[in-house]
Amino acid sequence: MSRDESLLEFLKQRGITRRGFLKFCAATASLMALPPSMAQGVAAALAQARRPSVIWLSFQECTGCTEALTRSHAPSIEDLIFEAISLDYHHTLQAASGQGAERAREQAMREFHGRYLLLVDGSIPVKDGGVYSTIAGMSNLDMLREAAQGAAAVVSIGTCAAYGGLPHAAPNPTGAAAVADIITDRPVVNIPGCPPIPTVITGVLAHYLTFGRLPELDALGRPKVFYGDTIHDRCYRRPFYDQGKFAHSFDDEGARNGWCLYELGCKGPTTYNACATTKWNAGTSFPIQSGHGCIGCSEPNFWDAGGLYKPLSTPYAGVGPAAAGAIAAGAVTGAAISLHNRRKRTRARAEHQRATVKDLEK
Amino acid sequence: MGLDDIGVHVVHGGGNGNGRALLNEVARLLEKLLQTGEGGSIDLAGMPLSGEDYDLLDDVLGEGEVHAEVTALGATEVIEAGVPGVWWITHYNAAEEVMAEFIEVAFCPEILQSPPEDVKEGLEALRARLLEEHLSG
Repeated sequence: MSRDESLLEFLKQRGITRRGFLKFCAATASLMALPPSMAQGVAAALAQARRPSVIWLSFQECTGCTEALTRSHAPSIEDLIFEAISLDYHHTLQAASGQGAERAREQAMREFHGRYLLLVDGSIPVKDGGVYSTIAGMSNLDMLREAAQGAAAVVSIGTCAAYGGLPHAAPNPTGAAAVADIITDRPVVNIPGCPPIPTVITGVLAHYLTFGRLPELDALGRPKVFYGDTIHDRCYRRPFYDQGKFAHSFDDEGARNGWCLYELGCKGPTTYNACATTKWNAGTSFPIQSGHGCIGCSEPNFWDAGGLYKPLSTPYAGVGPAAAGAIAAGAVTGAAISLHNRRKRTRARAEHQRATVKDLEK
Repeated sequence: MGLDDIGVHVVHGGGNGNGRALLNEVARLLEKLLQTGEGGSIDLAGMPLSGEDYDLLDDVLGEGEVHAEVTALGATEVIEAGVPGVWWITHYNAAEEVMAEFIEVAFCPEILQSPPEDVKEGLEALRARLLEEHLSG
């Protein structure tokens, strides 16, 4: 697709008919969580949309965000949206390497100054002048500041870019910071999640393509359309929470009946994301549907928010003075914890029902 | 051995009420269709639906006389429900995965209608062909 081509022209060249385009727009409206009646409006806007330049910078990250996007079901709506942008720099995906790759980034920054979208995954180490992560001899901190100067907007993809994520977890040895901690003079949209839902990433890009602006954001910089409700609000197991029906272990009767996982540490009530409706793997399922509680991966500091398997109601003292106090209490505390653990194990054993292959085949 | 061969007994704990809410919305859209000629569409991805909710929708809406398939950007399955004017629309991609799923309330779903621009282009192509035939004949 050339830069001057509209999206409709691009799709036509790929043999996509008007009916196909209408279907594309219906799926895109669904992707953006817009009412189906907006599909015609989306079609009219997308037919005229021009291809925006995108620079994607990866800093302290695991590449899971890129993996989530590129390994989403293809050929797909994500695929087409992703092709409808001009991805001018992404050091994992681009063919060029070394100085050639950096030249592509610099050229796109010059040519589309003030107009390109800057996508960032990974946190930025700021301790000791940002020496803990560099690309082509340039610190992540300097590269972000330089690239953000000419960006129309910055999109922080994943919890690391949005809130610091895993690198930010205590004791945060590199001084990992979020994009919005550093860039304060450009619009920044956060798409948290570890990784974020691929359709949410492309939904935000589709919104930008369609309307030429970023979607409405909440107080934490997240698009309200995808992060407006908690997982709990939209969870199909919610009625069991209201009825007081809970699983107490991963193999008790409550778990088998698909009851609420709150007591097993589900963070759904405090986690804002679209997993319960958009789901994963082409809408197949999401963690709670697979029998595991939400770990709250799209919330700030989720790594440091207590145990993944502790109910939200469990007071969390954090790793600090309280833990130090416990250590000082020494053997007495140790014995108490050991006794507590033994009781838990005994209770779990009592609740555990062994199943044989024969049972499963019934 | 496929997934279906694994002996797991799934226990359903009951619907969450959203199936019933959707059916009421369908009824309202049908009233609107009769009064104004304009129906509407419900995106099933917007609601958390359990297996029981889908079963309820299937049971109540049933299946009607029309079953069509559109081939554009992958398949689209169009099934008329047992309640006339209600259509199940499922968009698949080329890998046969569901891209989006709607219940559309309309006399004829939009995806089945020929787009006017296509009709115009088709007419021009037909006239050109007739002219060609006339000249060569």
